[in-house]
Amino acid sequence: MTLTRSVLTIVLLVAGCGQRPVSESRLRVVSLVPSVTEILYAVGAGRMLVGNTNQCNFPEAARGVYKVGDFMSPDLERIVALRPGLVFLTLPMHRQLLDKLIEMKVAVYVSRPASIEAVFGETDTVSQLVGRKAAGESLVADMRRRLDSIPVFADTLRVYAEISGTPLMTAGGGTFVNELLARAGGQNVFGSSLQEYPVVDPEAVLAADPDVILLLHPDMSNADIAGRIGWGDISAVKRGRIYDHLDEDLFFRPGPRIVDGIVLLAQLLHSAR
Amino acid sequence: MNAVELSGVTFGYGERMLFERFCLEVPTGEFLGVIGPNGAGKSTLLRLMAGLLSPAAGSVRVLDRDLAASSRRELARTLGVVLQENPFAFDYTVMDVVMMGRNPYLGRFQSPRRIDRVAVDAALEFVDAQSLRDRQINSISAGERQRVVLARALAQQPGILMLDEATSHLDISHQQLIARTLLELNRQGKTVVFLSHDLNLAALCCSRVLLLDHGRAVACDVPERVITAERILAVYGVEPIVSRHPANGRPQVLLPVATSVGREAADS
Amino acid sequence: MQRRFFPAWIGLAVFFVLSSVLSVATGPGGLRGVEVSPVMDLRLLRLALGIVAGGVLAVVGASLQGLLQNPLADPYTMGIASGAALGAGLTLVLGRTAGALLPVGGFAGAMATMLAVYVLARVRSRVTVTGLILAGVIVSFLCSSLVMLVMILGRRTLGEAVYMMMGHLGTVFTGTSSWLFLAVAVLSLVGCAWLFSMSRSLDIMASGEEAAATLGIDTQRTTKTVFVIASVLVGMVVSFTGVISFVGLVIPHLVRMMFGPEHRRVIPGSFIGGAGILLLSDVLARNVVPGGLPLSIVTALVGVPFFIYLLRSRL
Repeated sequence: MTLTRSVLTIVLLVAGCGQRPVSESRLRVVSLVPSVTEILYAVGAGRMLVGNTNQCNFPEAARGVYKVGDFMSPDLERIVALRPGLVFLTLPMHRQLLDKLIEMKVAVYVSRPASIEAVFGETDTVSQLVGRKAAGESLVADMRRRLDSIPVFADTLRVYAEISGTPLMTAGGGTFVNELLARAGGQNVFGSSLQEYPVVDPEAVLAADPDVILLLHPDMSNADIAGRIGWGDISAVKRGRIYDHLDEDLFFRPGPRIVDGIVLLAQLLHSAR
Repeated sequence: MNAVELSGVTFGYGERMLFERFCLEVPTGEFLGVIGPNGAGKSTLLRLMAGLLSPAAGSVRVLDRDLAASSRRELARTLGVVLQENPFAFDYTVMDVVMMGRNPYLGRFQSPRRIDRVAVDAALEFVDAQSLRDRQINSISAGERQRVVLARALAQQPGILMLDEATSHLDISHQQLIARTLLELNRQGKTVVFLSHDLNLAALCCSRVLLLDHGRAVACDVPERVITAERILAVYGVEPIVSRHPANGRPQVLLPVATSVGREAADS
Repeated sequence: MQRRFFPAWIGLAVFFVLSSVLSVATGPGGLRGVEVSPVMDLRLLRLALGIVAGGVLAVVGASLQGLLQNPLADPYTMGIASGAALGAGLTLVLGRTAGALLPVGGFAGAMATMLAVYVLARVRSRVTVTGLILAGVIVSFLCSSLVMLVMILGRRTLGEAVYMMMGHLGTVFTGTSSWLFLAVAVLSLVGCAWLFSMSRSLDIMASGEEAAATLGIDTQRTTKTVFVIASVLVGMVVSFTGVISFVGLVIPHLVRMMFGPEHRRVIPGSFIGGAGILLLSDVLARNVVPGGLPLSIVTALVGVPFFIYLLRSRL
């Protein structure tokens, strides 16, 4: 149902685009999704942004924009007070907000890319909506080029990506992290899990014996992991291949920096020895 | 020596004082009855005497020792208390419950010895509860439970016994039993302080009766001079017919209820 | 009188041993995994944690049920667990969870809560049982709400909150935290032994505070001592395992059904029974569902049928 709504909304806007050119100063955009914020700036539409969330922290300029609240719970009143011409949001996080905005006849776009390919598609769409079609196309082309320049690796390394240390949580199949790892020549040892972010038993990590451990949370350093009782025999620990203090945003935000994330992963996995 | 002595005791709940500079002397060997309407302070007085409440001013002495200076353990060897309500959260056996009365004599890691079992047996015997010893405390009747709790106090082998409404749930045969038990204990030299709503029982057994009203001692004297029609009227608001017990001449109170049935019967 | 409990003690011991064996023999690594030394290390640590946590929770539950004269009391009645969860939550959010710091934070939270409850319950330097219960409930509600608030503000995922509030035996140990746990284990045994030594007092307290006083019990000292010991024990356990529910409430009752209400049997029985049930629940939680279930769900599902069975067999 909502998909239809978003498509309809897009159609209306695109149709509108055709009739009169949308000038930068006229369209007021609110972005409730940090990855969309990044896309907007990357295609030069940053100035249209009249409001974003506390979590919209990249690039630097995004920090200075008026905040309508938290990514998880933005304030409807603040959004509406800005008289936005277009609001970017995501599901299922902003379910109630979406219903309210549609009721109030505010144009919305639902961002929900589930794969790398979908990110490219979304970059195209978003740039079209704000009248920056050309810039969007060139950004996507650039991203594809960089992606294709990553070699296909002969050996896939077994990777354990830790999202939380208490409890031990990792990324399962169907998540971005999973796909990024695959593209970077790694194999997520918990990739077969049906849950998105399953809690795992430490023993399961030992049984999986990963070659590389990635710490995707800032709480711990690689010394902490190596110091865990019983983990000393894991290949990754024995070879010192634990990488800490990684910028999570590169791996969790389905935006332009996804490719940076893949490039970094490829480096960590295959070049940094 | 006085078994219990209250001097200048002041106590109240909240801001108003119930007892103000209250004095009372209970000589050893006395059988003191405490009567009075609801709210007169009987239960509070008992708790002050037993050290369960501390007075705001004044002192309570038991066997010439200030309560504040005695440990609970020492006190438990001289003073046995039977309260009105005795809830048991878990189903201990009657035997277990009465054995708890031996606590003041047992060290922390000590198991009950023969003399403890003897004391428990004697206490159960005294209240005619031997047949109940293996029953569960929560599955016996209220009256049986009252006897068990009295046995527990007796197992403490105290010199002084204080009871709050010890006979309210009992049938007359067991009321008779308790009354005789207490009289026997008193005869053996124990001091007994007996709180009751039952004016007649108090009059029958006690050597002295204390009539309380709103924390004041209205009278503290032999039953004949306390349980009189005028006093009862003044304190309870009911004017009873006071007659004499045929056996010992103690005052007995009869309710002055006049009914139409009675009058018709009288007329016919 | 001791002789008739012999079969029950044997049964309890057998149950405990079986649960321990199952705990060590099962897990994602499989039975084969036991040959590999690191897996064995993890399993033994889990076993130790399970014994300490299960034993402590059941013993504290039994003791509080006696002290508070309330069959519905459990180790969390006095709000300590919520305080430990709050302490752990704050530590997580403030970011430095390396090594031993998380249990320390949890324990600090528990002790702060203990103090708060004590102060709230105190009226003119006397602490009554009713006061403790009321203060405990208030503080518990407050801490639970604050835990959720802290987790939201700190933008931690729901999974972490659930992990703490639902309990687990999967604590990841480092060198430091395993030494800490050793200290906790020793202190726990000492604490449980202390509570055991107070068996008679607890029996008498179960007959009412006033009656207990007349029987020679220093009710103030008993209440305060049990309160402090219980708080410290629960605080230590919860800071390692999160809030495991049901064990402290139900096991003492099951043990009472087997041995009668005297604390000198109920306390040691509860330790063994609590450890056994917790280990068994953990085995089920880890192995029945891929990905594992939160522990408190399993303890409830395991405990209830046991309870119903024994209840019916008695009626």
